[in-house]
Amino acid sequence: MLQWVKIAFRNVLRNKRRSFVTLFAIAIGFSSISLFNGYTDNTYEGLRQSAIQGEGLGHLTVFKKGWNEFGKLNPAQYLLTQAEVQKIAQLLKEDPSVVLVTPQLHGSGLVGNGVQSTIFIASGVVPDEDRLLRGEFATRRPIVGGTLQTDKPYAVEMAQDLARQLNLSPNGDGTIMASTFDGQMNALGIEIAGIYDTGTAATNDKYIRIPFSYAQELYDTDKADRVIVLLNHWQSTLPQKERIATLLSQNGLEVEIKTWNERSQFFVKVKGMFDMIFAFIFSIVLIIVLMSVANTMSMAVIERTREIGTLRALGLKQRGVSLMFALEGAMMGGLGCLVGVAITVAGCALIVAIGPTYTPPGSSSPIPLIVNLLPQAMARLTLFLMTLSLLAAILPARRAAKGNVVESLGHV
Amino acid sequence: MIEIKQVGNTYRLGETQVHALRGVNLTIQSGEFVSIWGPSGSGKTTLLNLIGAIDEPTRGDVLFDGQNIGHLSDNKRSELRNHTLGFIFQGFNLVPVLTALENVMLPLQIGGMSPHKARKVAEDRLADVKLEAVAHHRPDKLSGGQRQRVSIARALAGNPSVVIADEPTANLDSDTAMTIISLMHELNQKEQTTFVFSTHDDRLLGQVERLIRLEDGQIVEGGSNASVG
Ligand SMILES: Nc1ncnc2c1ncn2[C@@H]1O[C@H](COP(=O)(O)OP(=O)(O)O)[C@@H](O)[C@H]1O
Ligand SMILES: [Mg+2]
Repeated sequence: MLQWVKIAFRNVLRNKRRSFVTLFAIAIGFSSISLFNGYTDNTYEGLRQSAIQGEGLGHLTVFKKGWNEFGKLNPAQYLLTQAEVQKIAQLLKEDPSVVLVTPQLHGSGLVGNGVQSTIFIASGVVPDEDRLLRGEFATRRPIVGGTLQTDKPYAVEMAQDLARQLNLSPNGDGTIMASTFDGQMNALGIEIAGIYDTGTAATNDKYIRIPFSYAQELYDTDKADRVIVLLNHWQSTLPQKERIATLLSQNGLEVEIKTWNERSQFFVKVKGMFDMIFAFIFSIVLIIVLMSVANTMSMAVIERTREIGTLRALGLKQRGVSLMFALEGAMMGGLGCLVGVAITVAGCALIVAIGPTYTPPGSSSPIPLIVNLLPQAMARLTLFLMTLSLLAAILPARRAAKGNVVESLGHV
Repeated sequence: MIEIKQVGNTYRLGETQVHALRGVNLTIQSGEFVSIWGPSGSGKTTLLNLIGAIDEPTRGDVLFDGQNIGHLSDNKRSELRNHTLGFIFQGFNLVPVLTALENVMLPLQIGGMSPHKARKVAEDRLADVKLEAVAHHRPDKLSGGQRQRVSIARALAGNPSVVIADEPTANLDSDTAMTIISLMHELNQKEQTTFVFSTHDDRLLGQVERLIRLEDGQIVEGGSNASVG
């Protein structure tokens, strides 16, 4: 086998210019896939973190069974009681992979500054636990003023466009109004603790964040509409979803569990778009690699017809001829990928050196362009492109191998 | 032993048919040093291709040690060529990316011999043709005579019982041609390997033990004299 590898290698070097062009085509294809892959990987990583921590979705969210289907119209019937919340917390806190269990209550209503009022959407969160849930995002979020405090239940955080519309600034006062779950109108005074940027224009004029206890007071309830579960690894999201669902139902709790990516529409949409682009790039590369290897190998096969005849006369079987060229094709694919790895690494280094930034759609501030280097994905891609090149080489080789030996020998 | 029985070969050239061989009968015993001699177009190449099991006759049978080549699968015929036949070509047909030594190793490695062992055998074969000095040169660094000696070493590498050479000297000057034929004869004597070679050059026939003359696809001389012995 080794000597055939050697022969294949020397044959690849035989027509240097042609092989170089082919290797380069494979390398460019390889690196465009790898760089895009690295970019999306980094983007997914960022989106995942901003969904789990930035949006505060946690890894898993426990709802009362039916909440997602009917809760919009009939919220009162699909809430988790205090006892249920406590039981969930108690059961899950025994699990070492669970970092945090925290209840939330979401709702909407009208917020006013004494003169005008407008719609708000509120998340009621337990201040200390929410800080834990958000981790580094809690400190990174641009805030004017302070954050939610346990000992100041009436102090809220307000999204920046909403605050601007209402002409409210930190320490300013306002009022929130909403109908309770019993249908009564309720109004509470608020103080602006701080102003924050949600990151998207669509929510920046609606969102407020209030302490959980104050939300309960506004809607006149002691219940919660969800319990957020934070795990120590995002990879354990799915297995833990299964496990926790079983655990809770075994303990008589009627709940449904959603994962962070099920809840983050944004993540799903972006991933869907990237997957489409990836499929597009991938098919182009596929065609380029297939065509250039097939073309190069067809030419090599034709040029070496007499050599094929000689080898057949010396006793090489048809299969042997095919394998010889297949090996050559695979080697071309492999070498092309090797060059591709070099280009990818150089590309990553260049991006790190330049540090370009861009503003993605729906985002309000530029973010750095980062491309992850993914050795495993590159190894898989190499294997795939090698197989592809091998197949592209085998087709013309088989034709030559089946040819008449005498005619091959007479070929000039 | 090679037996050619009532062999005819017809090529189609568009509308016309070319009868390259017509009713050829021939037996070659092992250890013979045979020359097939005839003018261009007389059918020498066609006959050698049949003996070399790289072509099949339109009519008649070619038997190799009693085995009808026409009845063998392509793979079996490849194995037969690899184990029992050696080829020397007019154009040398060395593999350009391989050194002289590697070219000689090639048929052995096609046969599945380990590189280590193949190298030893090939070195001995190169020594037989006195080319140890250029063992690691590629063909394009060798003279025509040297190339043909490499190809003789390659043909003999696997200890074949028959070596087939179609006009092995046609691309060589006459002095070199003489030495090549002498070398082949020497190896024939030493190893008792059958040699069948074709030529249209009658100056080379001095050392030939058996001459088969071909004309218009028919044997006109030397066909059956050795068929008994
Ligand atoms: N592939 C072929 N197609 C058609 N005619 C052929 C072919 N090969 C050989 N011939 C014809 O068959 C005859 C014998 O050819 P060949 O065996 O090559 O003779 P030689 O080797 O003695 O010159 C010639 O007339 C030649 O033109
Ligand atoms: Mg001829």
